[in-house]
Amino acid sequence: MIALLLAPTAQLVDPSAMSDINLPRVIFWIFALFTILGAISTLMRKNDIAAVMSLVFTFFMLAGVYTFLSAHFIAVLQVLVYAGAIMVLFIFVVMVLNRDESEPWVWRGLAGKALFGVLPLLPLCYFLCTYLRDMPTKHPDAPDAAFGTVAQVGQLLFTDYLFSFEVVSVLLIIAVIAAVVVARSAKSNERDHQPADGAAPLPGHRFGEPQTGTSYASNAVPTPPGSGGGPSPGHGPALQAQGRPGPH
Amino acid sequence: MIPTSDFLILGAMLFCIGIFGVILRRNALIILMSIELMLNAANLTFLAFARAMHDGKGQVFAFFIIAVAAAEAAVGLALVVGIFRNRRSVNVDELTLMKH
Repeated sequence: MIALLLAPTAQLVDPSAMSDINLPRVIFWIFALFTILGAISTLMRKNDIAAVMSLVFTFFMLAGVYTFLSAHFIAVLQVLVYAGAIMVLFIFVVMVLNRDESEPWVWRGLAGKALFGVLPLLPLCYFLCTYLRDMPTKHPDAPDAAFGTVAQVGQLLFTDYLFSFEVVSVLLIIAVIAAVVVARSAKSNERDHQPADGAAPLPGHRFGEPQTGTSYASNAVPTPPGSGGGPSPGHGPALQAQGRPGPH
Repeated sequence: MIPTSDFLILGAMLFCIGIFGVILRRNALIILMSIELMLNAANLTFLAFARAMHDGKGQVFAFFIIAVAAAEAAVGLALVVGIFRNRRSVNVDELTLMKH
């Protein structure tokens, strides 16, 4: 796969646009080579932690490529958000799973996937690269120094794209809530199916620790639950059924 | 100055590597990482065209793509954790619950 991906690059970069070889271009292709090697290493690793680290390396090299595009703000965001936040999230999940792979590569149905997936993809890669090689540059001169700075991107972000910016913040809140709901539902199911000895799980005991204390106290005293300080009996199951899917 | 086509070729190669990862790997985590690679390829293409057109809007879109990728990673990893707790596996070939 490495040979298949790297072999076209030699003849792709060479013929038409090779007239001007300057130092920035050489440095850019060194960064690009490291990016591609890191990306391939991400896919080839058997160890998950090594794969995540390869991806972090790839993102750092991509941030270097972004600075060649005079996108300094996006380069900083790449390091902070991608290599920082998202990859830490991946590391957390790898640590939580803590599991060796039994079958890292696809072997079952490999012939079908190779025939219908990979083989059409190889000419796609090749023709994509050959087509993009002849893409003309509209403004051959470099943009001015203010291009891509925090001030310029921020000015666009808070004038023309203010609504999209706010929508993105709402999207992030929705994603956080969805992640919490999805990730803790299974654990709560297990806890419901294995109650402590004698103490039946009360409805709504998951939604707050003080509620747990009052509900267990009201369970000990044989009074009807509506009269005590416990949660209302009709309220809890409705919340449960709404908040998470059933175990089956 | 580096021609725009160099950046576009790099983006195309990154995207193809991501597609290879999605097709050939069975670990859900690696598939998510491949999707991140493809999103980065799209980002690189946006930035390359932003510089070629001398237009800052491409960089704003790259910013939005990074935000959406963060949301996607959060939800996707939560799904992986939930699936692992239910099925004790992150192999996507074993997730055939809707088949039977």
